[in-house]
This record gives sequence, structure tokens and C-alpha cells, in this order.
Amino acid sequence: MSEAAIRASGLGRAFDDRWAVRDLDLAVAPGEIYGFLGQNGAGKTTTLRMFAGLLRPSAGELRIDGLKHADAGRALRRRIGFLPDTPPLHDYLTARQHLALVASLWGVPRRERDERGDRLFDALGIAGQVDALCKAASHGTRKKIHLAAVLATAPSVLLLDEPTSGLDPLAVRQLKDLLGEQARAGATVFLSTHGLELAEQVCHRIGILAGGRLRAEGTAAELRAQHGDASLEDVFLAVTAAAR
Amino acid sequence: MNLLLADVRALAGLPRTAAGRRVLAASGGGLLLLGLLSWWFANALLDQPGLVVALHDASDGRSQAALFGHALTACPMVAAWLGLALAQRTLFEAPELALWRLAPLPPWRPALQALLRAGFAATLWSLAIAGPGLVAVLRRGPAPAWAFALTPLAVVAATLPTLAATLAAQLLIVRFLAGRWLRLLLVVFAAAGSIGFSTWLMLALFGKPHDHARDVVAFAAGERATPWSVGPAAALLAAAARGELDLRALRDLALWLLATFAGFRLVGRAHPAACERHLAAELPAWRRGGSRWPAGLATNVLRKEFAQVAQQPGALVGFLVFAVLVFAMCQRRVLVAGVLAAPSLPADVAAFAALMAWWFLAVLMVLNTHMGRITHWDGPQWALWQCAPAAPGAILRGKMLAVLAMLGWPLLLVAFAGVAVLDARADVVLAYAATALGGSGVALGVLTLVGTIPVLVRHDGDGGSLQGGKGLVAALLLVVGMQVAALPALYAWHRLGEHAADHGLALDDAWRAAPVVIGAALAYGAAWCGLGWLVGSWNFARLLRPR
Repeated sequence: MSEAAIRASGLGRAFDDRWAVRDLDLAVAPGEIYGFLGQNGAGKTTTLRMFAGLLRPSAGELRIDGLKHADAGRALRRRIGFLPDTPPLHDYLTARQHLALVASLWGVPRRERDERGDRLFDALGIAGQVDALCKAASHGTRKKIHLAAVLATAPSVLLLDEPTSGLDPLAVRQLKDLLGEQARAGATVFLSTHGLELAEQVCHRIGILAGGRLRAEGTAAELRAQHGDASLEDVFLAVTAAAR
Repeated sequence: MNLLLADVRALAGLPRTAAGRRVLAASGGGLLLLGLLSWWFANALLDQPGLVVALHDASDGRSQAALFGHALTACPMVAAWLGLALAQRTLFEAPELALWRLAPLPPWRPALQALLRAGFAATLWSLAIAGPGLVAVLRRGPAPAWAFALTPLAVVAATLPTLAATLAAQLLIVRFLAGRWLRLLLVVFAAAGSIGFSTWLMLALFGKPHDHARDVVAFAAGERATPWSVGPAAALLAAAARGELDLRALRDLALWLLATFAGFRLVGRAHPAACERHLAAELPAWRRGGSRWPAGLATNVLRKEFAQVAQQPGALVGFLVFAVLVFAMCQRRVLVAGVLAAPSLPADVAAFAALMAWWFLAVLMVLNTHMGRITHWDGPQWALWQCAPAAPGAILRGKMLAVLAMLGWPLLLVAFAGVAVLDARADVVLAYAATALGGSGVALGVLTLVGTIPVLVRHDGDGGSLQGGKGLVAALLLVVGMQVAALPALYAWHRLGEHAADHGLALDDAWRAAPVVIGAALAYGAAWCGLGWLVGSWNFARLLRPR
């Protein structure tokens, strides 16, 4: 597993002496879609924010694309795309202007930016809203705008925090298609979600986090088999209940 | 009462978390600093020779009442500022408003809660600005200990009625006249209030005590009207300073406060309808366009800053309000009457100096706003900068370019005012513009230095910026920094004035020195700019690091 796109060893983060994530060991291969499940406050967002370079781990080691996270700096950030639960949009920019700003930060040439932007806006069903101010966009549309901007930078590791919250069924379907397309192109996708159906349908492997620790990991079929062919919902409830 | 208790508990809970402790320390520190400045200013004013005698003559022996009244005028100023600046946010957009409106409460209760919250903030500000002055006056007489205890009551009584009146007026206007353009008009009032108050505060705290002493005497002589909410509070304190409790003034204060709450409760019945109308009247979005931006980082950041102004009606209106204020300031010849009347200076030199003085004041008025563009206003978007692989210095360069371009606005306004008000010649205006360009570089360097100090501008974990104290400390540091940076120019002006008084100053000599002055200003500006970028880039990188 030396070629893992994301490798965490004993990773942990504490806030005011309280551990939000502890002893996290996981490896995600290139081209894999990894689903991160957990109750509210389980530590999913903290993990993603550590992966994205927004939070410094309190313990353990993290490598992305083989590069040690703490030292790699800009070279590493160039490979990562992060969609937080609340997209960091500027309200008084249009969607196209936001995408241009993000692309410039990642050094994407203008022609590639425009080609990718048009294709992504179209794929996410927001081509008609790209010249409206982000302020007027709904929560779901704001997510789509920032997702398009992130994908326009062609990240090799895509981190998504609750990507389907606020999305309508059509948009969820478009998102699933896009994620599959990204993975087939070789990108690693790591997403946190409360959508068990999404995790089961899209993710190659699933990890269940409870109380800041990874309690179960495997494909959806493996997890169900470990619990007597129960549904993923039952597996989730059993794993999180055991951790309490 | 439950809403009040919830707010009190939220305040009491602040020290329990690290973020809350930071908020308390920052807010408390900022207000304390403002209080110390006010204390220093009040004592400097009271030490002015001849002030007491002049006051005694001007006020028919009621010099103490005049001093209290003058100090308390800060309270309605604070109330009007906060009432204008915070009305929309407090009355119609508070996060808890949806809950309050859904709860089975009387219709006026949410509005009253908004008034109480705004009143708390306004009282703290008023205490920091007016309180030290009141205490300083009490300390100079034989005031008993209980007289000092009346100070907070006097401040509250001088603050709340104006605040309530400002909020009530806006509530009623929105209730009956709501619409997109009214909302825009309220944004204009809010911008005017903020700019006007910060200018007043700056002139009050950093002006010369001698000039303020003249103001106090004029106030005592009745040349300036006493604000209606100040009289009873001043009378109460004046009597208390003599060791007497003025029951009539106390009754008047109580009646004022009762009438304030009763009146606001009455107006508050219109709050639910006003909220609905406010929400329905979204501000117009002025720009739509499909133009594609270039790919360069600094250009994108520059265009992003401009787009946020051009596409945000409130920000655009703020620029227009600023223009009106600058023209009003120039027409009243603020700060420069003495310079323009100096017989030893050629008219062109006096006009140049007047333009530079106005430019300096105009830049001070907007410096804090532009400093916000460096880091402070990007709180919700901070994660984007943190995740980006771009060099921190390159991002900062884009932001500095945007601010430099925006600093061109006061430069241009003062140039136009120079032509319109002073009838200044074109070459004088050009010399001013070139020198002020160097000054803009100084301003940019100073605001970048201050605006990237991590302890003052760092966002919290969720990207929110800590309001209140930290911002106030940064603003004060900015003004002081700008004054320190301007010291060489002030020293040169002082020497020139001495030379002109002793030996006279020929216009030809002044023009011969102009290239040197302009060159020095541009070089000085470039040096500050470079220093700001170097230190700012280092600090910006620290701010972008994972926490």
C-alpha cells in the first residue's frame, strides 16, 4: 500500500484537551472513492480539515500522494481539492468569477479553465446561473458552484464534506456521475456523508467513525457480511452504538 | 424575561471557552484602550489654562454642568451611529429572530430585545468614550463617592433615548415604506453614520486640546444646542458633584427611560410586519455580465476586490457618501483655515498644503475600511486562501494593488475639491496629486503592516472574524501608525513654516523645490509599500498556516 493517495497513521486532533479524532489509521488508493460515515460530532469534518491542510494534527502522521503533509506545502495543496460543507463563496462575485478566482489560485491556464468551467457548470446543471451573483444562489447551488470551481483545478485528491446536503435528487445523481468520472480518471475521492445510500452506491470502501475513532472499514458488502447480512443502516447503528 | 436571561447566560458563558475568552479579552481590551485615550484627552482638556474661567463666564457660573453636558454629548453620537449602522442587522437580520418570531411572544418583544442588545453595546461604547470625561470632572471637585456611582446611570439615560428613537424611526419607515430603494437608502444612512462617527471620534481623540477647549466654551455659551437627551443627566451629575442629590433631575431621568421603553414597545408592534417587508425588499443586484477574467493570480484578486465593490450596492453607495463628506469637509475648510490665511505663505504653497491636509484626513477616514480587504473581510472565504497552493505574497500583492487603486478615490476627490473650492491652479493640483500618490504608498504600507498582524486579524476556527475590540485596537493602531509615518512630512512642513515666518518664502523657490518634494514623497511611499509587502507577506503566510 505504499502507493496510497491518502495515508493516515495514528492521526489525531485535540481541541482544548478533548480529542475530536484519535488514532486514525487508514489508506485510500488512487482512483478509489472512500466514504466516511459517522454521527454528528464523530470527527468527520475535523479529519477532512486535517487532510485539506486547514488543521494541524495533534498526533500521528499524514501523507497525501506520498508527500508528508506537514512539510509538502504548496506542492501538496496543488493536488488537493476541498469542498467544505459551507462553500467559501464571495457573495458579490458571480459563479463564473468565483471559478476564475479559484482557478487563478491554483494556476490553471485561462483556456483550460474556461473549457473545464463550461463543461462542469453544464454537468452540474447550473449553466444558466453562472452570471448571477452567488448571493442569490440557494445552498445547493452554492455547493455546485464551488464544486465546479474545485474540479476545474483538476485535483488528484478530492475531499468532500457532506457533498449532497441541500441537493435535490437530480443534482445528487449528477454528483454521483461526476464522482465516478473523477475516480475513473484516477482521482482519489474522500467524502463524508450521512447518506447511506450514496455511500453504498458510489463508494468503493466505507469507514465508520464513532467517538473520534475508526470503528469499522471495508466495502459495503464486507460490512454487511460482518453483521449477518444486515442493511448498511443496521451496520451503522450497531457500530456507533457499540462505541458509546 | 427569558430572552433577556438567555442573552445574559450567553454572555456569562463566554469565559468558559477559549474562543469566548478571546472575544472578551479583545472587546474588553479595545474598549479599555478607548477609555484610556478618553481619560488622557479629558485631563488634557481640563488642564487647559483659562478654561474654567472662560467656562464660568460663558455659562453664568454653571461651568460644571457645561462640562458634564459636553462630555455626555458623546452618548447620543454613539447611539445615533449604532442605531444607524446596526439597525438592519439588529432589528431585521439577527440570527435568533426567526425563533423569536415563531415563539408565542407579544409582537413587540423581539423588537424590544433588539433594542436591549443594541443598548448594551451602545452603553459600553458610551461609557468608554464619555465615562472617563465625567469621572475626570468629578475628581476635580469635592464630589462624594456616591456621585461617581451615578455616572453609569447618566450615561445610560443619555444614550438609550436616542438609540430607541433611531431604531423606532427606521422600524416605522420600513413598516410603511419598505422597498428596494428604501433599503438602499438605509444602507446609505448606515454608511454615513459609520463614516461620520469614525471621523468625529478621530477628530475628538486626536485633535488639539486647545481647539476642544474652545468648543467646550462655545457649547457652554449656548452657541451649540444641547442634545435633548443630555440635559437631565448633566443636571443630575452637576448637583451630585456638589454633594446634592437633584431629585427633580432624577425623576426626569426615570421618566425619560420609562417613556423610551413605553414608546418603543408601542412602535414594536409594527415589527413583525416590518420584518416581512424588509425580507421581501432584497437589495437590487446591479451587475450581471459574462465577461471572462484573465488567469493571473494578482489580477484576479484585484478584480475580485473591485467586483465586490461594483456589484454590491451598499459598498458602492459608501464610496458616494464618502465623496459627499469629503466635499463637505473641503467646503467648510476643515483643518486648513489657518494655513490658507497665513500671510507668510504664497497662495500656491498654502493651497498645496491645504490639499495635502484634506487628503490626509480623507485617507484616515477610509483606511480602516480598506484594511478590512487585506484579511478581515475574507473570514468566510479564508479556507479558500488556506487551501490554495498560491504564494501568500502573490495573494497579498493582488489585494494591495486593489487597495492602492481604491486609495486613488480620496486623492481624486480632494483634487476636484481643490479646483472647485480653492480654485487651485492645475500645476498645484498636479504637484499635490504626485505627492499624494507617494502618500498613498505610505498609507498602503501602514495598513498592510497593521492589517496582517495575526493577533489582531486572525479569524476563528470557522472563519468568523472577532468583532469589537480587536478591530478597534487595529483601527487605533492604524491611525497612530499613519500619524507616525507622516511625521517626516509634518516636520518638514513645520520647518518650512518657520523659514517662511523668519525669511519669507518666494513662490519661485517653492516651485524649484517641488521636484525634490515629489521625488522624496514617491520614494518614501515606495519604501513603506515595500516594507508593508515584505512584513505583510510573512504575516500573511503565518495566517494561512493550518491551526
